[in-house]
Amino acid sequence: MSNIAEIARSTTAARRGAPSTATLLQIPAVMIVLTVFVAVVANSYWLVAITSAFAVSLAAAGVAVVYGQLGLVSLCQYALVGVGGWVTLRIGHAFHPPFEISLLAGGLASGLVGIVFGLPALRLKGLYLAIVTLMLAGFFQVLVSAWGFPDGGDGVLGRAQGLGRKMLEGPAISSTPTAYFVYVAAFATAAFVLVQWHRMAKPGRAWALIRKGEHVALAAGVNLLRYKVWAFALSGFLAGISGALLVGNVGQLDARAFTAPDSLTLFALSVVGGVFNWYGALIAGLLLRAVPSLLTDLGVNGYVTLGIFGAALFQALSTAPAGIAGQISGLIARLLMGRRRGGGDAP
Amino acid sequence: MIAVENLTVRFGGVMPIDDLTATLTAPVAGLIGPNSAGKTTLLNVISGFVSPESGSVAVDGVRLDGQSPVSRVRAGLRRSFQTEQVVEDLTIYANIAGIADHVASPGTFRREIDAALEFAGIGPLSGALGRTLNLYQRRLAEIAKCVVGKPRLVLLDEPAAGLSDEESATLRTLVLRIPKEFGAQVLLIDHDVELIRSMCTETLVLDYGKMLALGATDDVLARPDVRRAYLGEM
Repeated sequence: MSNIAEIARSTTAARRGAPSTATLLQIPAVMIVLTVFVAVVANSYWLVAITSAFAVSLAAAGVAVVYGQLGLVSLCQYALVGVGGWVTLRIGHAFHPPFEISLLAGGLASGLVGIVFGLPALRLKGLYLAIVTLMLAGFFQVLVSAWGFPDGGDGVLGRAQGLGRKMLEGPAISSTPTAYFVYVAAFATAAFVLVQWHRMAKPGRAWALIRKGEHVALAAGVNLLRYKVWAFALSGFLAGISGALLVGNVGQLDARAFTAPDSLTLFALSVVGGVFNWYGALIAGLLLRAVPSLLTDLGVNGYVTLGIFGAALFQALSTAPAGIAGQISGLIARLLMGRRRGGGDAP
Repeated sequence: MIAVENLTVRFGGVMPIDDLTATLTAPVAGLIGPNSAGKTTLLNVISGFVSPESGSVAVDGVRLDGQSPVSRVRAGLRRSFQTEQVVEDLTIYANIAGIADHVASPGTFRREIDAALEFAGIGPLSGALGRTLNLYQRRLAEIAKCVVGKPRLVLLDEPAAGLSDEESATLRTLVLRIPKEFGAQVLLIDHDVELIRSMCTETLVLDYGKMLALGATDDVLARPDVRRAYLGEM
């Protein structure tokens, strides 16, 4: 039948843009090249900035799960970074385990809190969920500004006075800033692969159906509760690991850096970076941590970045919903298609 | 076999289904009626999306009351919606796999998806993204979604809406093959009387939530009260 022939012809072109297992291999390849480049070229100022950008990109990868996959706006992701950082510091100072144990504890704790913060999403979506989660971020802001982050003291809160304050030792295997950067890059790579695998496998399909409509997902046999909770747990876990890696960068966290507006900015920049491609999270991390450093380097007031981010968000929402990463991927696809077509037409 | 017994659904003061009792046994059964007759509500009750105020629905002798929508799907219930629901940024393979994930056994996962794609005639499209498909291809994908993983009852809500006559004819032959090839009963809602006449041996006519007629399609469609309610003839 002519229709089917037409279908077959259109398929080769249509196949492009669909994620494949090759993407899972692209991620480490790109990350290795990028990491080596930064490690060789960057000075110490930039190394610290890009290390923290890579660390934050894990949290952005979590935003990409909840917003990009489920289509839900959750505005408390940076608070979850803070939860992960807090638990990492608390466990680290209390028991002095290897850094990885504290980091894992931070990730798991944040995953659990992520589930709790995600509970409203079982009933709410859209603006209402955004408001509730932003209030949760505000709640965390109040708690953490009152309690601060643990710094080696006693008691549940682990606060020390004056000279008793301590930094948490970073991982044993990465004693120099360059080594720690490579360490963080390895975690970021693993996180991107993990999220990309989810996108392409059973959870990603279930999330896509939920995003399409809960009735559609139910009619496909998707257990809504399980898959929503899983998305929030994964997103929270990534935020927690992100917080732990920020702790490892300088040994301490500043309570003033975990306000509700920080969660808003993280969400906005995740959208600007792109929530549908794996490298969107990386771009978001760089926007959040490297661009302000760049402006400071150029002698521009850091607050200018807020204006730039606002304009970028407006641009993303109005013309490029797939963000910068989506535009890059579109550009690459056009270049490849152009080359292939050029080759195909040649006699 | 679908057995509906004293089924009543109430939304506030409205009763989209009002004490309905009917049994449908044909391999491909039709469900027709004017707008707001309760057709889609009946499908939603069978799917488990809407809880009835009273009464029950049984499929092949098994009562569905209290079963969650998901467990009904696992037991072999499939449905399509009035508007097609192909996910834009998943491939067609992944669109079908999204159901197979929850209903196919791991050992035959791939084979069952391929069989469904093959059946709907969209095997060559398996790698294409949903957003690249036209309406006809989407409607075929919906059929593939309905036959994957051992279906027992397939509910189709206007599966050919918006298609040309030729496309609609292809879809019709596909749907007619479902009972024999997959062992599932099909319940079809459509506004197109000709489509119902050509496909369904048995038809239930609803009007304001009550049964107006039930029986062999030709007999039902010939009844004056059906013609009056449905076709607006006086």
